[in-house]
Amino acid sequence: MMDKTSKISRFLDPELLASLSNLEIKARTVVEGMIEGQHKSPFKGFNVEFSEYRQYVPGDPLKDIDWKVYGRTDKFYIKEHEQETNLSGYMILDTSGSMSYKGSGSMSKLDYASTLAASLSYLMLKQQDSVGLVTFADGISKVIRPKTGISHLMTICNELDNIKATEKTNIGDSLDVVGQTMKKRGIFVLFSDLMDDAEVIINKLRQLKSRRHEIVLYHVLDNDEIKFPFDEMTKFKDLEDKSEITTDAFSLRSEYLTRIRQMVNRFKSALRKSGIDYLLANTSVPLEANIRSFFTRRQAIMER
Amino acid sequence: MNFANPWFLLGLLGITIPIWLHLYFKKTPVLKDFPSLRLIAKSVEYLSRQKKIRNILLMIIRICLIIIAVLALARPFVGQSAGVGVSSSAPTAFVILLDNSMSMGSTYQGVSVFNTAKARALDILEQMNPSDKATVGFINEPGGLVFPQLTWDKEALKQSINNAKLTSAGTDIASALLPALELLVPLNGYKKTIYVVTDMTESAWQPFVDRYDLNKIDKTIDLVIVPVGDTAPENMAVTGLETDASVIMLGRKIPLKIIVANYTNKKQTAKISISINGERRISAETEVEANSEKICALECAFSKTGMNHIEASIQNDAMNLDDQRHLAVRVFEPCKILLVKPENVGNTENTDDIFIKFALNPLNRSKENIFIVETRLTSEITNTEPSNYSAVILLNQRHIPENFIKKLSDYVLAGGNLITFLGDKVEPDWYNKHLSDDLGGGYLLPARIFKRVGNSVSKSVGYQLTDIDLGHPAFSIFSKDGNGDLSRAKIYEFFQVRPNPTAMLLCRMSHGLPGIIEEKRGRGRSMLITFTANNRWSDWPIKPTWLPFLHQAVISMVTANDLTINGARPGMPITATINATDSNNKVVLKKPDGTSENIDGLTLTKGLLHFTTRNTDLSGYYELIVGNNILSAFAVNPPPEESRLTRINLRKIPRFIPLKQEVGKGKSVREKVTILRDGYDLSGLAIWLLIILALIEGFIANKPILKRLSKN
Repeated sequence: MMDKTSKISRFLDPELLASLSNLEIKARTVVEGMIEGQHKSPFKGFNVEFSEYRQYVPGDPLKDIDWKVYGRTDKFYIKEHEQETNLSGYMILDTSGSMSYKGSGSMSKLDYASTLAASLSYLMLKQQDSVGLVTFADGISKVIRPKTGISHLMTICNELDNIKATEKTNIGDSLDVVGQTMKKRGIFVLFSDLMDDAEVIINKLRQLKSRRHEIVLYHVLDNDEIKFPFDEMTKFKDLEDKSEITTDAFSLRSEYLTRIRQMVNRFKSALRKSGIDYLLANTSVPLEANIRSFFTRRQAIMER
Repeated sequence: MNFANPWFLLGLLGITIPIWLHLYFKKTPVLKDFPSLRLIAKSVEYLSRQKKIRNILLMIIRICLIIIAVLALARPFVGQSAGVGVSSSAPTAFVILLDNSMSMGSTYQGVSVFNTAKARALDILEQMNPSDKATVGFINEPGGLVFPQLTWDKEALKQSINNAKLTSAGTDIASALLPALELLVPLNGYKKTIYVVTDMTESAWQPFVDRYDLNKIDKTIDLVIVPVGDTAPENMAVTGLETDASVIMLGRKIPLKIIVANYTNKKQTAKISISINGERRISAETEVEANSEKICALECAFSKTGMNHIEASIQNDAMNLDDQRHLAVRVFEPCKILLVKPENVGNTENTDDIFIKFALNPLNRSKENIFIVETRLTSEITNTEPSNYSAVILLNQRHIPENFIKKLSDYVLAGGNLITFLGDKVEPDWYNKHLSDDLGGGYLLPARIFKRVGNSVSKSVGYQLTDIDLGHPAFSIFSKDGNGDLSRAKIYEFFQVRPNPTAMLLCRMSHGLPGIIEEKRGRGRSMLITFTANNRWSDWPIKPTWLPFLHQAVISMVTANDLTINGARPGMPITATINATDSNNKVVLKKPDGTSENIDGLTLTKGLLHFTTRNTDLSGYYELIVGNNILSAFAVNPPPEESRLTRINLRKIPRFIPLKQEVGKGKSVREKVTILRDGYDLSGLAIWLLIILALIEGFIANKPILKRLSKN
């Protein structure tokens, strides 16, 4: 079993995936590898699979009463199912300029996030769930309504392939629009490097959560952002607003690392308190690891 | 140019380090795209704030470095010395005042305190630099400076310390301190110090501190006290020796009052010995309570006329100089008094002398009595020689034989004493003519006699004696309460007289007329009493004050020419004027240690010799000898307060810096003197501080470089 899993993981390596030109193939490669592994689908969806009986209590809808059981036992029982309707999934992708950063790794943050989004979409579509896509930067760029059917993966992948990261980020406003547009309850998977006001982002995500959406946040960061492996006098250029700062990277490193750690911890603690899944996605880490941690988190939520 | 250590020039290679560092960090910045500069900008801002603080810190350190470097080059000194402010390299002018008073004669831990003090003074002198100048003084009584000016001669100063002798004198700090201040105050460009090496007895220092405001002393002068000894040793002393006897007669016992002081914290037994002229006569023991004095009364008699030496002593203790005390007394033979009374009338014996006779010799004994009284009638005195008597008393005489008058005049001028009582037989004109006018310069009466005043028959008016000269020896006994009241005597009749210009009026009658007059005539004296010596004109002879008056009057006249020197202290000058026609202007002073020295005197008129001597440093018995006769003697005793060795608390002495050497620990006096004079040289400390600060500065300034180098 382990040999098989590791063989599959080898194919999920970002460098290997980067060599694949088609995003759909990438997604399939990732997800097939996953499913062939030991995990089952993390989505608690709208199947009609019987779950259990329980005694009727006043207030239960009469339509749920199992009359056949009543006929045999002369008692009211309610037939419970795991889900009642199909799940709608929204892949919300940050396409701001900062997401185009590609450090020493093989994939840019945007590529990494796109592959993750495509993989999760494939997984959901395969479970007969509907999946949509929203891309945003300074505002909402593109919206693909959730649909079911595996053929919908092609549409999503095509859109992801065509994304160009150039604009500035305005996560707060974009999430506002998403919240207002996507009224139907579903699962929102956000991919972003969160290069905006942290408090604004946290508040907007909490607002989304308050509308009974399930929210999963992938905080996509390059290894350069996490480790800051620069020693020399460096002129840093901002990918969004093109501003520049010349500084001694070595002397800056310690302070920078402290701040990035503080930022990650801030998001992690604030969002988890609000019931929002926070997952740090390091682009140098295999995608499989990030999806695995996603599965682990989801399974934990389902068992709650 | 040459270098003593040219290898050190290799250190110049060190300049390559900053050049290398400069080149190492001088690189063109690398251009790097980055997702967002949000965090970098915040980090840069934070670091620039940090850098700003670091730069301020570096600036402060660098300022400190410059200040300390400048201070180190200027060689700063700090210390207790007020003179440090002058200049660290300025020479010192100082005075060493050595306490050689009697209290320094005690021992501490078996070592003489005075010897310790001398050692300390020599220690101070050892620190004298060639450019310093100094003098030495003593703070005994009377103290002073050995060298009246400051000197560079260190050896002479050391010699004066080595030759210093302990005296029995008291402590007079001001006597040496004030001249020392007079020497130092006008000096400029010197560090000025006065060292007082002393045992700090409270009895000496407390009056000094109370009298002088030490805070007013010139602040540029350091006043340093060098205490010697430690706790006050247990000491007993004879602090008093005296007799109340106004006149001491041969063979007659007199009371002696001996004061024994116990300056210890427990009751002590004092073994008192009384020696007269070196021969032990009396021994007694007495217990003296802790920290108190006791008066012991003993009696002794003398077997020699003239000056006698009494010595009272106790057993020796930590300080021997005060364990004995001396007293010089003159012992007289009994005084022969000649009474000249009027002739008897018929078979009735004249009784004018009865009250005087009874007063001077009540039992008419010839032995163990101060006075031996002989009475002669006027007719019996022609062949009588007055010079055989200590005093002649004329009682109510009408006329006196001419030849006796002449003898009396010579007698009085040669030192004899005449007392004249008037009465009903007195003829004023005869008295004025024969006893005054006819004798020219050898006149006998101190006043001219006029008419009688009052009525002794009716006794209607009784006059009292007023305006009494209680300072005169004849009346001084009445100055004490309880010794009688002269005003109770009533005088009913008396002669009005007019005193001579040089006569002294000893008392008046209550309405203002003279009552008793005395005049010094040549070397003798003449006293005139304007009323009778019996109870016809006055009731005084039957009053209790009559007897003491007569005794005191006669004794005062007899002893008037006696040279008495009382209460002499060591070092005190002794000044006297003596009758010494045969002295040849020389008086010999015989000292307690047996040595003698001639004292040159100044001859005054009438064979009087005036002399002064300061050679009284030793305590003991001194004799003044003129020719072969012991003219007089006196005793020199240490001041009683010197025996109290209690020390004053240093905090009670303002301005004085203590400089104490404790045996076996701490710095020596020499080291302390150096520190006091030069202060603490801070340049060494400044250099250390400079190095430490430079290291800190280097560390802070190069911390980022060090971090980078350690990473590489």
